[in-house]
Amino acid sequence: MITLSNIEKYYSNKGIKNYVLRHVTTQIHPGEFVSIMGPSGAGKSTLLNVLGMLEQPTYGKYEFMGEDVSLLKESKRIELYRHHIGFVFQAYHLIDEMTVAENIEAPLLYKKVGGAERKSRVADILDRFNIVAKKDLFPNQLSGGQQQLVGIARALVAQPSIILADEPTGNLQSTQALQIMDLFKKLNQEEGITIIQVTHSEVNATYGSRILHLLDGVIKEDEAVLT
Amino acid sequence: MFKLNLKIALRNLKRNFVISMINIGGLSIALAAFILIVLYVNYETSYDKHNPNYENIYIVGRDLKDFKTNFTPPPLAEIIEQNCPEVALVGKMTPSNLEFPLISDAGRIYIKNTMVMNFNAAKIFDLHPQGGLKQPQGEIERLYYLNEASMRTLFPNKKDSMPELVLMGGKTLGLTAPIQGKIVPNPHSNLQFDGVAIGNNLGVAEGFGFPNYYTYIQVKPGTDIKALEAKIDRLMKAGMIKEKIDMGSLKNERVFLDPLANLHLKPQAGNDTNYKVVMALFILSMLIVVIACINFTNLTIAQANKRAKEVGIKKVLGSYRQLLTMQFITEILIQCVLSMLLALMLAELFMPTFNNLFEVPLSLAAGAEELYWMLPLILLIVTFIAGVYPALILSGFKPALVLKGNFEAGLQTSWIRKGLLVVQFSIAVIFIAGILIVNRQVEYLHTEDTGFEANQVLVIKNQMMYNKPEVFATFRDKVMKINGVKSATVANVVPGGEQTGSNGYTVEGREALLDFIDVDYDYFETLGIKLKSGRTFSKEFKSDTLNAAIINETAAAKYGLLDPVGKTIRGCNIDYKIIGVIKDFKSQGFEAAVQPTIYAMKNPCGNPRLSIMLKVDAAQMSAVLAALKAQWSGINRLDGEDFRYDFLDDLYGRLFKKQEQLKAVFFTASMLTVFIAVLGLFAFAKIMTSNRRKEIAVRKVLGASDFQVLKLLNSSFLWMLLIANVLAWPLVYLLARTWLDTFAYRVELSVVPFALAGVISLLLAVITVSLQATKAVQANPAAVLKHE
Repeated sequence: MITLSNIEKYYSNKGIKNYVLRHVTTQIHPGEFVSIMGPSGAGKSTLLNVLGMLEQPTYGKYEFMGEDVSLLKESKRIELYRHHIGFVFQAYHLIDEMTVAENIEAPLLYKKVGGAERKSRVADILDRFNIVAKKDLFPNQLSGGQQQLVGIARALVAQPSIILADEPTGNLQSTQALQIMDLFKKLNQEEGITIIQVTHSEVNATYGSRILHLLDGVIKEDEAVLT
Repeated sequence: MFKLNLKIALRNLKRNFVISMINIGGLSIALAAFILIVLYVNYETSYDKHNPNYENIYIVGRDLKDFKTNFTPPPLAEIIEQNCPEVALVGKMTPSNLEFPLISDAGRIYIKNTMVMNFNAAKIFDLHPQGGLKQPQGEIERLYYLNEASMRTLFPNKKDSMPELVLMGGKTLGLTAPIQGKIVPNPHSNLQFDGVAIGNNLGVAEGFGFPNYYTYIQVKPGTDIKALEAKIDRLMKAGMIKEKIDMGSLKNERVFLDPLANLHLKPQAGNDTNYKVVMALFILSMLIVVIACINFTNLTIAQANKRAKEVGIKKVLGSYRQLLTMQFITEILIQCVLSMLLALMLAELFMPTFNNLFEVPLSLAAGAEELYWMLPLILLIVTFIAGVYPALILSGFKPALVLKGNFEAGLQTSWIRKGLLVVQFSIAVIFIAGILIVNRQVEYLHTEDTGFEANQVLVIKNQMMYNKPEVFATFRDKVMKINGVKSATVANVVPGGEQTGSNGYTVEGREALLDFIDVDYDYFETLGIKLKSGRTFSKEFKSDTLNAAIINETAAAKYGLLDPVGKTIRGCNIDYKIIGVIKDFKSQGFEAAVQPTIYAMKNPCGNPRLSIMLKVDAAQMSAVLAALKAQWSGINRLDGEDFRYDFLDDLYGRLFKKQEQLKAVFFTASMLTVFIAVLGLFAFAKIMTSNRRKEIAVRKVLGASDFQVLKLLNSSFLWMLLIANVLAWPLVYLLARTWLDTFAYRVELSVVPFALAGVISLLLAVITVSLQATKAVQANPAAVLKHE
């Protein structure tokens, strides 16, 4: 599904190149649940941003579903966002001026899903996540865990083939964090959604099927998680 | 999607209520001012536009090198009619400013401004008197019409449209005239009158030597005006040569055609000050709108931080940039529409005050036709100016940056916002300094020595011509018997903007054009005019009534005379002896320089002396007025039954009315501008300090005192203000210079208004910023940092 070959990313400062990513080469197959781990500043988030096409690598080739991403036009990239990629953020990033239901509905609007189907899909997912009672509340009226649930619901509602999650539990208490990780695991195993998460937590990483250890922008280790 | 965006927009309005209100309020105030002024400019520039032949009507004027005039001799109309087939209609008219009473059984009126015109002139001006425009019979008949108020007073019960007879002048005179009916002058026309007299032809007995008529022509569409102008010029000169008139000055004379469209604001014979004032007003109103737009832009960008996250999320959810741009523009459009609605209400609310000040009958309903297409256009333009830039900035945010968390949208755009704030404050400083300068000049007009004393001088309205001193002597004797009357005199004009005539006079072989004022004994004493050398007119010198003249300083300077007293000055076939020189006095106000003037008691070329002036002891004014009223028919038997008067200082004060008007408008505009600019600064400071809350907390934890933090927050604004001042000052100088140059007598520009404007703007800024900043400074750092 994803092929990275020799991805490099650096910032030049007075002629000195500061590498954030170096020689990153790997493949991610459909249905995998990959955790990217590493100390602060290792380049985890940058790698995730490159995977999410939010940042361009300085060098190297990135193929998403067989297409070279560096050659993609803006509109084509937005099409990928609409149909294939769902984002989950550490700080949830819900739109403050929209209610829970409106936040979840938003991606469907961009995907141009018809009104009736939109309603049923939003209702469906609210029901699945047990947040029907909250649907008319605004984000600041919810707890962190609830906000993240909404964030995941929003990512899922457009039925993406891959979810990119940047420290999805970083702001949460441990019990809430476990719920979220259980949810991810279920989504991965039952619906076959590919998940790539960045995490600090060893525990969270064990929920996945594979761990990429990153140190100073280089993949040091690529281990499979034994279940 | 649209519905959702609309919801977001409204929720945002609600959440940032204060800032939104400042945004909408500021814009609506500016738009209200703009609407009013557009209506006014539109009104002022469309005089006579209702006339179906508006484009084709011209007045024939004469350029006499020294000055231009619209007065032409009466035969001109006939020669144009006979020789110019391209001219469809030739009209002539003459104003009769002699004030006389008209008396009926029911009441009496004083009619002052009667327009005497020929039938074609009435047709050119599209007049519709009661009963329709009728052609007078023969050469003699005049059809008289009066305005509505006069008709109501004279014939309150009149129902039919039959002519009615009125008495003219005093009851004892026995003169009667038939009044055909009423006529309503269009207030939006150059042609204003209390009544009209329409005849078939006017001034038949007068030749080319009597330039007392306005000649209007209506040309056929497509006429070459330049060629026609040259043709009429030739005809005019041929006519004058035939009558052997003014042979010497012929080569300096030229005929011009001035379109009807120019007559109200910028007539060739006259000045274009009115036009400049109207245009200046228009520019002022645009500046106010620009300031409000800057506010809008600035505040919207300043709030970008709050919207940045929304943009980032929407982009990763799959929104195109254009969609986001449209969303923001729509939001701004909504705010603009709200502003416009509010502006219309404000405009309606202030319309009466505005109309009162400018003496115009404006209304939103009447101006609707223009406003229909103008308002949406203004709305779109304002939305575009105020909205496009923030919309582009906002929609351009990179999601990767925004979503990382610690994003400061302000940083990328801070220079542009600072720039806009500087522009805004420059404009505010221009207004502050401007109003200070205007104030000083207007104050100068009121306090500066005019060279004569208008206080306690009565100007009596009178129809008797007192051209001969011996006739006036009897009048004077009777008046002087009243206790409290100090002196009495009569002249052809009073100081207060009335134009007198001018003529060529020669001293020692040098000829110059002098204004002449025909006076009687005690003229200079009544007006308190100071003598520079020689003496004034005196009964002890018998020859004073025959050939004595007094000139003013300017006239002496014009001839280069060091010691004019005793010299001979020749004009109007009389050799005058100069008996005195008076100090200049500003009879025409402060805008025109004092003209070289000659004062004489005998002037065959002069105008009728109708203006009686009495100097009265202040303490006995009311007694004198009562006595004059009681004895008036005995004192001045031929004048009629009524004693009517003005105070000279009131008449003279009217010269300043325009400046007072301008001052009022300028004051309001300045207040609005400064208010809007301060609003902008207020909101800007509010956002800035809230963005810097963390910084403030950290500084306080590190040990900064409240005052130090306050200083820090103010200093960034003070720099911008300083730059704004430096930018504004040269502009103020240029503008003030241009305006002051319209006055012959004016204050000198000093540093004071500039420095004062600087200080005022700084004070306003410090107060505004500090009001905001203290709140942030006093917040508990722990609370702020925990939040982060």
